[in-house]
Amino acid sequence: MSEPVLRVEHLQKIFPVKGGLFEKKKVVHAVNDISFSIGAGETLGIVGESGCGKSTLGRTILKIVEPDGGKIIFKGEDITSLSRAKMHPYRKQMQMIFQDPYASLNPRFTVGEMIAEPMENYGMYDKHERMERVQALMETVGLKPDHIRRYPHEFSGGQRQRIGIARTLALDPEFIVCDEPFSALDVSIQAQIINLLEKIQDEKKISYIVVAHDLNAVRHISHNIGVMYLGHLVEIGPADKIYSTPAHPYTQALISSIPKADPNAQGMMNRIILQGEIPSPINAPRGCPFSTRCKHCTEKCREAMPALREVDSRQVACTLYE
Amino acid sequence: MLEPNEYFEPLGASEKRDDYIPIASKSFARDVWERFCTNKRALAGLILLAVIVAVAMIGPLVSPYPYDGMDVSIANQGPSSAHWLGTDQMGRDELTRVLYGARISLTIGFVSTAINLLIGVLYGGISGYIGGKLDMVMMRIVDVIFSIPAMIYIILIMLIFGSNVYSVMIGICINGWVNTARLVRGQIVALKEREFAVAAFTLGASRMKILFKHLMINTLGPIIVNATLMVPQAIFNEAFLSFIGIGISAPQASLGTLAQDAKMLLSRYPMQMVYPVTVICLVIFALNFIGEGLEEALNPKGAR
Repeated sequence: MSEPVLRVEHLQKIFPVKGGLFEKKKVVHAVNDISFSIGAGETLGIVGESGCGKSTLGRTILKIVEPDGGKIIFKGEDITSLSRAKMHPYRKQMQMIFQDPYASLNPRFTVGEMIAEPMENYGMYDKHERMERVQALMETVGLKPDHIRRYPHEFSGGQRQRIGIARTLALDPEFIVCDEPFSALDVSIQAQIINLLEKIQDEKKISYIVVAHDLNAVRHISHNIGVMYLGHLVEIGPADKIYSTPAHPYTQALISSIPKADPNAQGMMNRIILQGEIPSPINAPRGCPFSTRCKHCTEKCREAMPALREVDSRQVACTLYE
Repeated sequence: MLEPNEYFEPLGASEKRDDYIPIASKSFARDVWERFCTNKRALAGLILLAVIVAVAMIGPLVSPYPYDGMDVSIANQGPSSAHWLGTDQMGRDELTRVLYGARISLTIGFVSTAINLLIGVLYGGISGYIGGKLDMVMMRIVDVIFSIPAMIYIILIMLIFGSNVYSVMIGICINGWVNTARLVRGQIVALKEREFAVAAFTLGASRMKILFKHLMINTLGPIIVNATLMVPQAIFNEAFLSFIGIGISAPQASLGTLAQDAKMLLSRYPMQMVYPVTVICLVIFALNFIGEGLEEALNPKGAR
């Protein structure tokens, strides 16, 4: 296999938690010892419930927040500890599509200014060529080029997300982190955006990390899927494998929660309902983070976090498979 | 994907064109201007201010009397065809004096506001954007400056540089920028966490560009409104300083010194007090209305 576009090794991100004056300083392990790699033109979906650290993972990889441990290797270069200035050329190739198309567009910029801006930042093309490219990009993402002088508030949510995508594509990135790109959109628009992202991937061989909690959308777009629970990657493997035969008890519960079109179908009967709440990441349980809610939990689970190991052509971190 | 069925037929090219409703895209400034114009009070304020500024600039030039031309034989006259507003106790033409005074007062008001804005926006912007320890230190400096009454600075400056227009301006600016700095800092601190600022960062914008292009443009509203309220404040401060005798010195005049001169003869010639005070009031009203109108125009809550 050729060199992957992105390789992440034992990545960690820790946030300090503000405690009282006499309390012990606490930390949240938002991203805990995560490793994976993505090849050219591949999509890795990251799923998990709210607060499990999936957005932080995306932001740490792009160094929007500095990682606290591990390595980020982009096209063979270790970019983990690069300064802001040294990171600049890499940033052009590593981009992000944001969750909220309302908050991520500057309300005082026109669409044209917004899409041209990244090209200005990198001194790409002259002024005239930039304007032509802006129009071409607007067409690529399905916006009318004559809307170029409008402000974001004049667009719908789906159109705004398209503006965000066009702006990202302006830099010809090779890798894009999509941070819940669908969650702020209604279902019909979600489908359009998913198709748009797939079309762009086919044309430009871009690699994606798609962070989402909509399991169906992720399945549709991803080649591989990683499941996160409380900052840990508990299972990662080909999308079909994960969806058809989930191995980790948490993945099983997650997959069984997907609503089925046919209420009498087999899966409906086997719905796994998790007991209890997700533990606070501040007092994360020792050992396997899922041990407090897992029906297969044993003494061994509570002692140490099991390592990822190859099971049935995917990797699982669970004592059941040791 | 939906298949088109027999209930629908595709539009022809010409129908598509007919269906397109062109909406003129308005620039932000134009949008603000149009909303501003719908506010009658604000518009009236703007016109009033324009008239006062124009008259104050042109008046002393076309007046047949110099602002400091004394003629004691005609002191303290009432309005007449030669002196429309009469003369003061030195026999100087009152109208010329008031217009000349208005010119100085307005200059002080606008120049000191411009200086305050420049310092305050830069200071507050940098402090808020960089944050952390620098922010902490910069804001404590602001607190110290703010906690010493302006009057002390002003009197000290007057002692060193003498009583003139420049000392008044320095005196007003020395802690006038503090409020702007705090305002801007607060705005920037809130804005820099917004997703569009993170987006600008991932798209390769430099720190300077994020601060001055992406964030500042979103603080324009409060800053402009703040500025329109700072002008009358500066004019008022100058009038007060001149009134208590540490501002502009004779024979130069500002609206404040005119009021002070009239104070001595208030019981016999009250009109000499009325003229400068009326102009001060008009300017302050006009600027307040403009400020109010701009605030509304720049923050169209619920406007789309």
